Amino acid sequence: MKLRLKSILYLSITLLPTLAFAQDSLEKALQMPAEKKNVQATFKATKLINIQTNETIYKNELDFRVDHRFGDIAGSAGGTKNFFGLDQSTDIRIGFEYGISDRLSVGLSRAKGAGVITQLYEGNLKYRLLEQTADDKVPVAVTLFGSTTLSAAKASTDPTAANAFSEFQDRLTYVVQAVIARKFNSNFSMLVMPSYVHRNFTVFGDQNDMLALSVGGRIKITKRMAFVADYTIPFRDKNKEAYLESTLGTKYYKTLGAGLEFETGGHIFHLNFTNATAIQESQFITDTNTSWLKGQYRWGFSIARRFSFDKKKAK
Amino acid sequence: MQKLFFTLIALLLCTGIKAQIWVSKSVTSSFFSSTPVEDIDAQSKTGASALNTKTNDIIFKINNTSFQFKKKLMQEHFNENYMESDKFPTSDFKGKIVEQIDFSKPGTYPVTVKGNLQIHGVTKEYTTKGSLVITGDEAKATSTFNVKLADHGIKIPTIVFKQIAETIQVKMTAIYQPKK
Repeated sequence: MKLRLKSILYLSITLLPTLAFAQDSLEKALQMPAEKKNVQATFKATKLINIQTNETIYKNELDFRVDHRFGDIAGSAGGTKNFFGLDQSTDIRIGFEYGISDRLSVGLSRAKGAGVITQLYEGNLKYRLLEQTADDKVPVAVTLFGSTTLSAAKASTDPTAANAFSEFQDRLTYVVQAVIARKFNSNFSMLVMPSYVHRNFTVFGDQNDMLALSVGGRIKITKRMAFVADYTIPFRDKNKEAYLESTLGTKYYKTLGAGLEFETGGHIFHLNFTNATAIQESQFITDTNTSWLKGQYRWGFSIARRFSFDKKKAK
Repeated sequence: MQKLFFTLIALLLCTGIKAQIWVSKSVTSSFFSSTPVEDIDAQSKTGASALNTKTNDIIFKINNTSFQFKKKLMQEHFNENYMESDKFPTSDFKGKIVEQIDFSKPGTYPVTVKGNLQIHGVTKEYTTKGSLVITGDEAKATSTFNVKLADHGIKIPTIVFKQIAETIQVKMTAIYQPKK
């Protein structure tokens, strides 16, 4: 009898884990597929304030984007007489981007253009070379951006002017950029971007080729609102820089933009401040001669709206 | 000797428990949101489920990022703004089949499933009806039920209120096979 009791006790001890195990083992029996996940939405829009992000738009989607920069808020040109810049617009850009594939998009735009090089027509390509993966095997995303901009402005008769175009080629500017971005967590993303700008024609004494380095970031404040900022350092030859300052009195500055990004599902709004007068990379990298410290910063905004043309059913 | 005998029985019972587990590797789940402005539907084909024919326990698990949308931007918004898939990567259900079903007998059975559904990190109890079709060594389960977004702490901003329905219809289909 004693033995039997002991046996029952033993049996129940042996069985207990198996019974308690039922829900657990059921969970163990689940065969979840191994998912190779790419990090999505490193940034919400294709651009931060002045610079590009690594984001492209998806296949068969159209992104319609309007950028606007007002006049100087403060400084000698700003203040009440131009209503803190709102009476002026230094640049306006209307652009379309279309997703040929989830990786490649093509864009066309028209911009007013800042300074003397105006009436800009731009064509661009953006290619997502590398995507950051959730498992961090690929820690960064890399996107290439290239653009060609044509100025249709009337050629100046002053041969030293930046718009003294004598041939068609003189009107062209090329930009090549590589955006290296990382989403650190759902609230914080950063990017570093080297740029190369080639202007076929410049103001007398300036360089045709220029390299630049940008950094930018996005910090989410709420689910739908984020703080965005970017900073671009152009590398101009010191002698040329001194020459341009002494002959034309033009001093060039790094660009700094900061603002808020609002996302409403389909629409993205930016409200920002920047010292750059121009919107496109073909101009703001090489030609920003306005400084934050002199009050030469301005309001800017952008509105981007995405349209989907994908009619295929998700089956 | 007796000890060995009981140990053997216990081990046998263990294997017995294993055989009463049925699994499904490719649970199809889709949801549908309908408003006068926009119809949204998405589908996942890679959910997983397991059920225990003895204890009637049933569980489901789906990766939120596995839902495919017609519009990719919507898919991004779904994961980014609504499901917050990086914080809550899966949706799951743990419950019991109320009726006692004999899985060895082929046939069509109406079933009631009761349990807890976790979406967006918020768990709520559901009781839903479905059907179970048993054919030899396969069982097909289907169910349709409604999920109220507010029940799971998913907020729809007023600006897209007209595009996204407050209650989403969910359809699940799973084909089970006994786990060997």
